[in-house]
Amino acid sequence: MENFEIDSKRIDQIEKITLEEKNFRIKNLELFKTAGFPNKKFEDWKFTDFRGIVDNNFKKLDTEKVTYDFKNKELLKNFDHNYIILVNGSLHSNNFDYEEKNKIKISSHDNNINYKLSENPLICLNHALAENGYFLEVEENYKFKKTLVIYNFFTNNIKDKILNNKNKIKIKKNSELHVIEYTINESKFKFINNVYEDLTLEKNSKLKSLYIQSKKSEGFFHKYSKSKLYDNSDYVNLIFSSGLRFNKLDIESDLIGENCSCNILSALFLNKNEHQEIKTRINHLVPDCKSYQRIKKVLDTESKGVFQGKVYVKDVAQKTDAYQLSKALLLHDDAEFNSKPELEIYADDVKCSHGSTSGTIDEDSLYYLMTRGLSRKESTKLLIKGFLNDVVNFIKNPKIKEFVENKLEEQINAH
Amino acid sequence: MLEIKNLKASINSKQILKGLNLSIKPGEVHAIMGPNGSGKSTLANVLSGKNGYEVSGELNFKGESLNEIPVEVRAQKGLFLAFQYPLEIPGVNTNNFLKTSLNSVRKARGEKELDTLAFLKIVKEKSSELGIDEKILARQLNVGFSGGEKKKNEILQMKILDPYFSILDETDSGLDIDALKTVAKGVNSSRTKQKSFLVITHYQRLLDYIKPDFVHVLSDGKIVKTGCGDLAQELEKTGYKKLN
Amino acid sequence: MKQQELEKSKEYKYGFTTDIESVRAPKGLNEDVIKFISNIKKEPEWMLKWRLKAFNRLKNLKEPNWQKPKYPKIDYQDLYYYSAPKSASDKPKNLNEVDPKLIETYKKLGIPLEEQKRLSGIAVDAVFDSVSVATTFKDELTKKGIIFCPISEAIRNHPELVKKYLGSVIPLTDHYFATLNSAVFTDGSFVYIPEGVRCPMELSTYFRINASETGQFERTLIIADKGSYVSYLEGCTAPMRDENQLHAANVELIALDDAEIKYSTVQNWYPGDKDGVGGIYNFVTKRGACRGKNSKISWTQVETGSAITWKYPSCILQGDNSVGEFYSIAITNNHQKADTGTKMIHLGKNTKSKIISKGISAGYADNTYRGLVDINKKASNARNYTQCDSLLMGNKCGAHTVPYIKNKNYSSIVEHEATTSKINEEQLYYCNQRGLNQEEAIGLIVNGFCKEVLQQLPMEFAVEAQKLVGISLEGSVG
Repeated sequence: MENFEIDSKRIDQIEKITLEEKNFRIKNLELFKTAGFPNKKFEDWKFTDFRGIVDNNFKKLDTEKVTYDFKNKELLKNFDHNYIILVNGSLHSNNFDYEEKNKIKISSHDNNINYKLSENPLICLNHALAENGYFLEVEENYKFKKTLVIYNFFTNNIKDKILNNKNKIKIKKNSELHVIEYTINESKFKFINNVYEDLTLEKNSKLKSLYIQSKKSEGFFHKYSKSKLYDNSDYVNLIFSSGLRFNKLDIESDLIGENCSCNILSALFLNKNEHQEIKTRINHLVPDCKSYQRIKKVLDTESKGVFQGKVYVKDVAQKTDAYQLSKALLLHDDAEFNSKPELEIYADDVKCSHGSTSGTIDEDSLYYLMTRGLSRKESTKLLIKGFLNDVVNFIKNPKIKEFVENKLEEQINAH
Repeated sequence: MLEIKNLKASINSKQILKGLNLSIKPGEVHAIMGPNGSGKSTLANVLSGKNGYEVSGELNFKGESLNEIPVEVRAQKGLFLAFQYPLEIPGVNTNNFLKTSLNSVRKARGEKELDTLAFLKIVKEKSSELGIDEKILARQLNVGFSGGEKKKNEILQMKILDPYFSILDETDSGLDIDALKTVAKGVNSSRTKQKSFLVITHYQRLLDYIKPDFVHVLSDGKIVKTGCGDLAQELEKTGYKKLN
Repeated sequence: MKQQELEKSKEYKYGFTTDIESVRAPKGLNEDVIKFISNIKKEPEWMLKWRLKAFNRLKNLKEPNWQKPKYPKIDYQDLYYYSAPKSASDKPKNLNEVDPKLIETYKKLGIPLEEQKRLSGIAVDAVFDSVSVATTFKDELTKKGIIFCPISEAIRNHPELVKKYLGSVIPLTDHYFATLNSAVFTDGSFVYIPEGVRCPMELSTYFRINASETGQFERTLIIADKGSYVSYLEGCTAPMRDENQLHAANVELIALDDAEIKYSTVQNWYPGDKDGVGGIYNFVTKRGACRGKNSKISWTQVETGSAITWKYPSCILQGDNSVGEFYSIAITNNHQKADTGTKMIHLGKNTKSKIISKGISAGYADNTYRGLVDINKKASNARNYTQCDSLLMGNKCGAHTVPYIKNKNYSSIVEHEATTSKINEEQLYYCNQRGLNQEEAIGLIVNGFCKEVLQQLPMEFAVEAQKLVGISLEGSVG
């Protein structure tokens, strides 16, 4: 890696770590250095040569800290909300005025040991160098009154960096939280943000998270999200991260308590030169759980969409109900959609199915709309929205729904 | 209203329409009957401007040639086609679609665009006039609609868009008598001196409810016979075969 | 037969061995063995060169290891690469000269080689271990200009065709097993259908492994010239042995303009016993090129045998408007493993492909569908439809679906659907209530599950395949 020189001296700069953690970090750094940035030889990167992407976009990369000047920014006014502000991945401030006291704990995330070693070099890199994420804990029997927005600011001087962060959310028994992760990137330069997310949903808890950003950006984003779902818990993950130059979400969910439910939904519109990749792995480890995936992508010229989804059903996980759908609409000749919808099943009394389609806009539908007086462009837009709508409709709060619809509309109009 | 002269159309180098002439004046209702494969639906598609056909001959609509005009502009000029098989378009809300559609037609006519409230008022009025439950408009466009519901939805769209000239492409096929009456009501209530209709049908049944001024028989891509309303009854008795 | 063997033979009725004297090449894989094979087959110099080139490439290749079923390391030096019945070493000129023991063997397998007894009108090429022992109906085919003969004969008699097409679909260096086959292949069938000819009968090859410690490496080459049609069937069995035997065949199909090839396989190699001892490793490379416009290649396979089945009969759709089809049933029981599927590579415009795969897993078996649909940038209006259904019986077995889908052309439509389920209890109950026992009921339901694929088989094979489906699952329900 000529453009990214790194050694264990970088780990020495990380403050307040035990010897054990240091060794864990060094080991992971070695793993990363042996593997390098992933290319297509890695099964999980089958359709994307990330190494090539890094080489093409970065002459030099480093992980050195950046000093920045951060004034309080304008926050969303569309709906009432609590918030956490992250600046360049570090916890900056928070506000829980809408909630009861002592129900929420928030701190910088610093425990970085108890993680499994990974075959994904980017996760190794994160294990080696992650600093300053957040750790949010919701106490038992508490339902958030308002949505929590996590503002994820990147300052305008971030350039040629790899920022590694680790974030953790734990929802204790019978509690509920709705989160919107809202990325605001003020940097006009290229950089890589590499995040490890650790989610725990205890018995009867609920987590609904929504992922979106303010506008198009030059950032390269990679996030690995690992969730553990205990009995009767309910996890919903809504992905609307259109507009990023490169974005890969690698979502792994362990269903370890009975009757839990895991839902991953996405509606994306990709403009020119954008790359969006969603990889999922749902591990059904106990009986009677449900998983549902619905991934929709519209691809405009020179964009690329990838979906790699796997449902794994362990032999004891009888009565599993797993569904997975990926659909892509290709608008131009230069668009590309690759998918690998995978089932690995060892229990017989299960209901598992997946579907994956890709194609262009149906000419007959266009014709039908045009006989009603709509122009080709309007008709196309309407069909695109219709195609994405069934995912947007999963948002129950009308104000948030409107907010997401507007963002999506901006993205579609840019096409 | 509509002048068709020596209209020929082929698709995939197969000629379907072979020199068709037809003249429809404002206020008239014309019916086109004919056996399967005679070119009825092709005529509807060609009039609406569907892609994929090679067309020659003259098509004049309100004194203006339609030949080079795309589908949506024809619609904006007041030409409406009620589809034989209305398409199911998942994810697209019917009301939302109709509002966009109505506003683009209004814009083309130089009228001001309607806001949601004004639009809903029109919808309410038209749907109650036809006895259609407006709840179907809150659903996705034609998705999961029964055959009858789809056809009623076509007629409701016709009422709302208020075109000068409407083509009903076998709107009656597969309908029960109640739905048929709704369709007829939709047409009859719109019959004025300014509006014309072309009713394409296989059966005479619809024409018991919509009395046409003229009936044409289409066979092998040409109009082979033209008569008054009673031609339909005659055809019902004798069938199409005798005409050839 | 001992009692134990008797018991075993009930499970796999083709498990007998024929006691026949054979000629073998010395054990091991080296240049001398390759020269031995080439020499005994009286091959021309260019063929030997081709083989040696493959062998040299093989030295730099590694066995692939991405597949799901893992197997113990194969010692390639501990295998015989050539074994032939002694009586056949001088190729018999007609059936009267064929060793009666061989005729008896094929009779036991249900394949009489005497033409007069053959009513169904299928021409058969019988391959016993490493050589073709008999080809029937030759005269009738020759009249139409059809060439149907052992490939070793084609190398001598039709070198221009073999040189032109051999290795043109599966390159010499494609992957480890394909290259191994190129170096050491012994026999197989060659088919050439001339321009405009519709082959009047089904052509069929019946493969039989008899000798122990012997690998079978047959090579099949089928060329359908412009506007021709052929339907080709392939059947395979082997005796029961405690050892694992390697079968690494290469099959190449070439369809020129407006030609159609239908290739059906009923694979019933010995699957090993119920504890997973013995059985064939069936590592086969099958690939067809739709080279001409409007050409069509259709693969149908019923895979019930072998300890491990590992194959992806594929179509390269080069010609505009060409069509590729893949219909597959893979049944795995006990400790069997199958990793099978197809690749549909769309290069030409308006190309179409259809994939219907039915996987059934019982006992401790593992069944994987692995496939690739690749729509090239220039393949405008390409269309693919894929359906993969898996049926699981019990929770000690596994069913996996691993499709790779690449679409680089916006006017193309790719659809993939897959389901995994178990046998519907209600259906079972309904059948039971009408007097069927559990196994009959399962046989019936599974056959229904596979119907779309079974329908693709020619009549004679369909009946056999249906029975096979039932038999393969016997003992899978407690």
